[in-house]
Amino acid sequence: MRGALLILKKEFLELSKDRRTLFFTFVMPLILYPLMFAILGRLGDRDAAARAALPSRVCLEDPGQVLAPLLRDDPARFQVVPRPAGDLRQGLRDRKLELALAVDPRGAEKLARHEPLALRVWYDGSDEASKLALERFRSRLGRQELAWVQAALASLGGVPQMAQPVQLETVDTGDMGLFVGKLIGSLLPYLLMIMMYAGAMQHGIYATAGEKERGTLLSLLATRLPRSQIIIGKLLYIFAIGILSALVNLLSMAVSVARLVGAEAPGAATAAAGTTASAAATAGGLAALATPQVLGLTFLLMVPLGLFFANFILLGGIQARNTLEASTALTPGIFVVLLLGVFSMAPGIEKLRCLPYVPVLNVSLAIRKLFSQQANPLEYLVALVMTVALAGCMTWISVRMLNRESALFRL
Amino acid sequence: MIQLTDLHKTFLVKDRKGRGQRRVEAVRGVSLRVAPGEIYGLLGPNGAGKSTTLRMIAGLLHPDQGRVEVCGVDAARHPEQARAMVGYLATDLGVYLRFTPRELLRMFGAFQGLEARAADQRGMELLTQLGLADFAEVRMEGFSSGQRQKVSIARALLHDPRVVVFDEPTTGLDVLTAKTVLDLLRAMRAEGRSIVVSTHVMPMVESICDRVGILFDGVLHGDAAPGALCRSWGVASLDEVFFRLAEEARP
Repeated sequence: MRGALLILKKEFLELSKDRRTLFFTFVMPLILYPLMFAILGRLGDRDAAARAALPSRVCLEDPGQVLAPLLRDDPARFQVVPRPAGDLRQGLRDRKLELALAVDPRGAEKLARHEPLALRVWYDGSDEASKLALERFRSRLGRQELAWVQAALASLGGVPQMAQPVQLETVDTGDMGLFVGKLIGSLLPYLLMIMMYAGAMQHGIYATAGEKERGTLLSLLATRLPRSQIIIGKLLYIFAIGILSALVNLLSMAVSVARLVGAEAPGAATAAAGTTASAAATAGGLAALATPQVLGLTFLLMVPLGLFFANFILLGGIQARNTLEASTALTPGIFVVLLLGVFSMAPGIEKLRCLPYVPVLNVSLAIRKLFSQQANPLEYLVALVMTVALAGCMTWISVRMLNRESALFRL
Repeated sequence: MIQLTDLHKTFLVKDRKGRGQRRVEAVRGVSLRVAPGEIYGLLGPNGAGKSTTLRMIAGLLHPDQGRVEVCGVDAARHPEQARAMVGYLATDLGVYLRFTPRELLRMFGAFQGLEARAADQRGMELLTQLGLADFAEVRMEGFSSGQRQKVSIARALLHDPRVVVFDEPTTGLDVLTAKTVLDLLRAMRAEGRSIVVSTHVMPMVESICDRVGILFDGVLHGDAAPGALCRSWGVASLDEVFFRLAEEARP
């Protein structure tokens, strides 16, 4: 094993000499994700604040003047605008208005006769401003309906409180930490796989096909180190880079996502002070969820999975004649990993009975369950044992295959 | 001492259309012996099997048939033991450009089982001998090909090997650097090492080699002292022997 560790040391020493690669591999993600999410969050907050500060533009067709006074009385929230030329839908799409209302022309008479008032509303569900306008209108209309019913009850000699016989109080018991944990738990396996593979791939190619291309592999093979040790040393390097790269990216991304989601999760306050408090609560909740035990168990699963990927990269890299050939051989692997990741994120996938026995995917499932506090010890154990066995087999195959002259001296 | 007995080596290469594979016999029945304190020159055109033969001596390739002995050790059975006694210089220089020569030599010293201090000391001796001591702490990215070649030679000789195998050691070097390399080869011969050198440079062979062999299509011709070879063919120079052999070997 001493030879393999010497090779590992050599690879890291070589990496340490390349400050640019070090920066892009390990420092950049630490800066990039918080920056990206901070900008996204800030832009989102600014947009929401701007929407809340402006009145919603409403096109109102109300010949009987049933609803017009309601909207005109609240200029801070509604601005009645003339009907745009052409189709209303196009007007909404072109952002000339946020809401369009058409009231029954005989609405006033119907109300007087205590008959239902027909009202049609057009809004754009894909536009946040339009959804806000609808929400504002519903709230205003609700209050008005209550007033109408209370007035009708009063005229009949009833008690106004009968208009709202039930006082509903809702209590949100959702744990913000658990919510974020579930979200990160479903994203984590996907991110883990992508980052581990993509992070290790370029370094793996440099350390394998790159050595062939630069003519340095021969000088290594000419030393007294056994070939198997050289191969294992390179495998350890690719594996270590994959794990480190995934950890740095994930750490940075998890903190950034937790902050962002904490501010926007259901039930979170929207006021500035409330947002900060909610983010702090989320961070606390997430910290309680991502216990050292959960993180340790996740890392334990990452080790054999990372080794499996490292073997795959090593096999593709060292058998290639040059870096271009290695790149061509290994890049499709990213799409396979992407596909596996997307599959593991699919809603309801955890209910598939065969999933705990499908290699790689069972790792996703186990991590997902760990983070959502639904861990099943047996499923976890099966995933771990299967992945260890898979990584072990791959290592055995790699060392045997790459020990051959035809792999190292491919013509 | 090096002893090659009836070496054969075949490779599978892509055929001309790139669809299937065909077998190429790179080395066919090569036998030779290099005694301690002797420089053996291996000549031949490109693709004649010189590098393959040298790689088999260095324990990088295993012969399909035949036997390679390095100082009495069977290189096929005990490749690590054999490689420990061989200093191999490939045509590709094989230096890690991000390292300084000192770092590279320290690292290869560790690979060859040397203590860090011993590797450092031996490395500096070699760098001084090759005129590179002042560049020991400079990253090799800006080195000329001659400087890289010198570092590569130092790397090959770091573990004080009894057998030296140099594949085209003066290719692409200026006259002064080439002279340094030739002087080093002479010095190593004087120390009693067995040396095999492959080259295309005939004057170099005539000036330093004790015996030469000429490879054509994997078959060794000649195997004699340069002067004796010229006399046996009745010609004045090795160049002419080479041309005559090339004509004879042509199908």
